[in-house]
Parts: sequence; structure tokens; C-alpha cells
Amino acid sequence: MTGFSDTRWSRRRLLQGTLGMGALLALGNRAFAQEGVTLEGVGAMVKGTAKPGPYRIGFANGFSGNSWRAMAIAALEAEAKATPDIGEFIILDGQGDINKQVSDIETLINQQVDAILVIANSGSAVAPILKQATDEGIITAPFNLPVDGDGWSTYVGTDPQKKGATLGKWLSDALGGKGKIVALGGLPGNSYTAAGWAGAQEAMSKDIEILAFKDAFWEEDKAKVVMADLIAAHPQIDGVWCDGAQVGAGAMKALLAAGRPLVPVTGDDYNGLLKLYDAEKGNHPKFDIGLMSEPTWQGIFAMRAAVTLLKGGEVPKQQILSPAMITKDNYTKYLRPTLPDGVFTDTSLTDEQLAAIFKA
Amino acid sequence: MTPNASSSRRALRAGAKAAGAVWLAVIGLYVVSGLISPAMFQWSQLLNILQVASFLGVIALGQTFVVLTGGIDLSQAGIVTLTNIVATSLMLGLNDNIVIAVFACLAIAAMAGVANGILVTVIGITPLIATLGTNSILFGAALVYTGGAPRGEAAPAFELIGTGTVLGIPNPTLIWLAIGLAMAWLTRATVFGRWLYATGANTEAAAMAGVPVERVTVAAYALSSLLAAAGGLLLTAYIGSPSLGIGNPFLFTAIAAVVVGGAALTGGVGSMIATIGGAVFITELNSFTNIIRVSSGTQFMVQGFIIIASVLIYRRLSGARG
Repeated sequence: MTGFSDTRWSRRRLLQGTLGMGALLALGNRAFAQEGVTLEGVGAMVKGTAKPGPYRIGFANGFSGNSWRAMAIAALEAEAKATPDIGEFIILDGQGDINKQVSDIETLINQQVDAILVIANSGSAVAPILKQATDEGIITAPFNLPVDGDGWSTYVGTDPQKKGATLGKWLSDALGGKGKIVALGGLPGNSYTAAGWAGAQEAMSKDIEILAFKDAFWEEDKAKVVMADLIAAHPQIDGVWCDGAQVGAGAMKALLAAGRPLVPVTGDDYNGLLKLYDAEKGNHPKFDIGLMSEPTWQGIFAMRAAVTLLKGGEVPKQQILSPAMITKDNYTKYLRPTLPDGVFTDTSLTDEQLAAIFKA
Repeated sequence: MTPNASSSRRALRAGAKAAGAVWLAVIGLYVVSGLISPAMFQWSQLLNILQVASFLGVIALGQTFVVLTGGIDLSQAGIVTLTNIVATSLMLGLNDNIVIAVFACLAIAAMAGVANGILVTVIGITPLIATLGTNSILFGAALVYTGGAPRGEAAPAFELIGTGTVLGIPNPTLIWLAIGLAMAWLTRATVFGRWLYATGANTEAAAMAGVPVERVTVAAYALSSLLAAAGGLLLTAYIGSPSLGIGNPFLFTAIAAVVVGGAALTGGVGSMIATIGGAVFITELNSFTNIIRVSSGTQFMVQGFIIIASVLIYRRLSGARG
């Protein structure tokens, strides 16, 4: 761990870069995603060799079939446009296929791009090809999902275990350190939920009884069905731990359908849960939210790290970011009442950009 | 009596026995799971199971038509997803848009179903491949239509269909049973029904006996698609929001429900009433494994074992070959 200082994103820079004054006024008191985020450097500093710009940057996206990815792509496109050092930004879609992504990265190497950003479909499968790219002098910057070994230049992501622990601690505190909870995760066997849930269990008070942990596929419909069964099995459920708020929203809707009071719930920045909280908090005094995003804008930091290296600067080998907590005290800054449930509200995008992505 | 008539009569008898067997399995599993986890015996949990079973139930009724012809429809999952996406995006939470949204979904389903039928009968592609291809096209269409970012929500009046009750019974359950009885009548008491069984039991013999085999098959795929859309609409009314993964579980559970109901994948054997039992059985099993404290891995294994075991047992009971 190095003594890398906290990097705070300047709101002004973003506004100058991407928005006019009209947009600034229209935004009102809306929270900007990057505002207040801290990036913690891990590992030795990496120094780049200066190259003349403008740079060609490729993005080997693992797949693109959900709103999180759609917003992540839009955030990167906006950043690329706003960065004069970037001349061309190429996006390839791995379509969820491990092999296709490896060949996409080969394609980018053959096109002699200056840097490659990656969200890996498999942290082990892309490791050799990224190492090859790095050895050929290309800056490689995986983000969001880690890549095995160290044959890449620099990494940006969150720490799922720490996030899970923060959410677990919040839930435990919200219940006064005592109560019965259920936990609902994502896809069966995924390492992200596993790390988060491990962190949560350690962070919760000993008097929190865990009634069940179930996979809910990060989908509202699956969560509602699973939760309906858990409601039948457990007459008392005081809280729900989730690592995604689609799942939290599905669980709360199951409680509503069963005529049960809503309870404290964790999750991420999914607009659907914020809308539900806003609508139901008056009817359910115990309803409370403790949310932390998996930021859709984290790729921006990978892109900036890559540009820094291309200009001969230094960045830490890994940068771990801790998103701001969304609670009852600040949720109105994130809530997008007129936009679809699927919007991840801790965003670097304007309402207009979001409306374009969601065709709303 | 022609050989064809006698074989379809035999198939009907076997189907009737299998229908009885699946209901025994439903009751047996319910009792066993309730003894292990008394929560299963609550009236509210029974209603919950019957509500959740209705989505799979309606979709599986559609699958039964295709299985009866000796085919298989793997495009139902795509229909469910596309229905959910199109319905929510057209409704946009407004009651005025319900009619147009429902019609659009049924129209898409009808086109996809007829296309499946034509691919299978006229062009002669194996049902497995033809419908898997259609499924891929439908799911791709949902992705292209949304760009990965689905929007919209179900209208409040439409959500009542999914979440309301009549005399304490969930609406989706009542709709499912009504559709089930109508489909049972269609297959048991009409000429179309007799043609359907005859086509599945022996296509060539049926064709020689004057059954319009191709039209019957196309109709079966169209009904399968339409009922998948109906199930997708009920599920959308229950959830209220769009999700690109919503149809995935039905790719195989719809077929499992039909097979657990005692239908033969070779065609000509099976019944709508038994498929209703199959859907209840699969949902009951899911619910039970949700309640007992097991991991997803164990849950998948238990479900797999019980489905295979139940098929073996009903086969012995019914003497049906499948």
C-alpha cells in the first residue's frame, strides 16, 4: 500500500468538459457521481513512457446486454469526447463470450491502439492476451472485474468485500444490532456476491440472526418469487441484505404483496428501489435504505489512468474506489422520478444523456 | 377400427393415467415438504405457490400443444422476455396504453409462432433447431429494441391482474385455470384436438387419414407462442417492471412441466390437465427448496433428481412410454 493521496474529482472540471451553463442550472442540487469519491492506491506506482498524442484507445467490453453496461459505455464515450488527448475511441463487444473477448483484444492489438480498457468476462482467460499487449508496449487497463496476475498496466475497481461489509454494518446498525435478516444475492456462484456477503457477515453484530441466504440473479422478478417463499417460512424478517437493489426492490414488493411492513434494505443505486422508497416510506415507518453503487462511471478513472501513463505520468498499480453511501438523508439527490427504474442513479451522465440511453 | 384410431385411443388412456400420476406426485411432494417445513402448509403459502405457478402454468399449456405434435418449442423464453419488454415500454405506466400493449405482444407472438410452424413443416427444419434459432432472434430483438437499457413499467390497472385476488384467490391463478380448462376442452372435445393427437402419434398415418398435418402443426406452434405471451403478460403484471432476463428460466422449465405431467416428447401422449399438475409440481419443488436452507447448487441437484425420479415413477404407474 502506498501513500497515494485521495483523488477528488473536481465537479468544475467535469462541468467545463462536458456541459454548458444551461445544463448546470438544470441539474439543480443533483449529486454528481464522482463528487466525493475516494480512490485508494494499492501496490507500487507505475510509470508510463511518454508518447505523442492524440491517442487511440480501445475498449474490449465483455458484454453489453444490460442497463449498467449501457451506462458504463455512455460514460466512457462522454469522457473520451471531453478529453482532447484522445483522438479515437473504439468499442468491441465480447457478447458474453470468453473466447470472443480474447479475439477482440487481439484485434485491438493488431489495430495498434495505444491503450486497451477491459471489463473481463473471465479474469483468467484474458490474462495472457493482456500480458502480450502490455509486452508490446500497449497500456492495458482492466476495470470493474479483476484480471489474474499482474501482466496489465493498471486496474480500477471497487472492493466488493469492503462494500458488502459497509452495507452489512449499516443494516446491523439500522436494526439496533439485533434482529432477523435474509440475504439475497446475484447469479449462483458469482465471486462478487460471495465476497460482499463474506464481508457483510463479519461486519454485522453477533445478535443479527441470518435466516437464509439465497441467490436472486440480480433480477426483480426472481427476487420477488424467492422472497415470497422466505416470507412464508419466516414470520419475522427485520431486514434484507442485498448487493443489488433490483433484488431489494423485488424483495420489498414481495413484502408489500404479503401485507407485511417494509424493513431496512441494502443494495445499489437502482432507480426502482429509490422510487419505491420515496412512494412507501410514509406508509412504512421502519422502511429504510442503505445503498452503495457499483459505479457505472468507474471506467472513466481507468481511461484517465491510461492517458496519464501515455503522457509519461505515474499511477498506482491498482486504484480502489469507495462510492458514497446513499441513505434516507441524501437519496433525493439521486432519485430520478421521471426516468425508468433501470437507471443506476449514481451517474456521471445528465438526465438528457440518460433519457437518450433509455429512450425515455 | 383403423390402427390409427386404436393407437390414438391407447395414447389417450395412457395420458389419462399419467394425468392421475402427476397429481399424486403433487400431493405427495406437498405432504412431504410440509412435514419437513410446516410453512408449506400455510394457506397463504399454498396460494403463493398457485400464484407463482400460474406463469409457468400458462406457458407450459402452450408447450403441451407442440409436444403433442412430437415437436419442442425452445422459443417460449424469448417470447416471455420480448413480451415483458414490449408491454412495459408501450404501457409506460399508463392505463390508456394497456390494450395496444397487449395486442402488440400477442401479434408478435402469433407471428413468431407461425414462423416456427412454417420452419418446421414447410421448410423441414428440426423443431429443436428452428425454435432455438427463433429464441435467439427474439432475445436479440429485445436487446436491439432496448439497447440493453429497458424502460417503462406496467400500468396500475394491468398490475391488478397480476397482484389482485377474487374471493381470496390470486387473479393469475384463476386466469391460468380458466385457460387450462379451455385448452383441455380444445384438445379433448374438438376435431382439432383429435387431429393434434393423431399428428403426434403417427404423422404419416394421420396425413393418410386426411388430417391436415401441416396446418395442425403450425397452429400448435402459434398456440405455444400465444400462451407464452399470455404467461409473459401475467408475469409482467405480477412484477411491474422490465427485465431482460425474465424469460430465461422458462426455456427448460416449461418443457419439464409438460414432461413431468406425463407427456411423451415423441408426441401423441399428454394432457392439459396433467401439464397443470406438472407446473404445480415444479413450482412446489422450487418453493420447497427455497424454504429449506440449502445452497443454489444443492437446490439445482435436488430439483434435477426429483424431476427425473418423478418421471420414472409416473411412467411405471401409467405404463406410458416416453
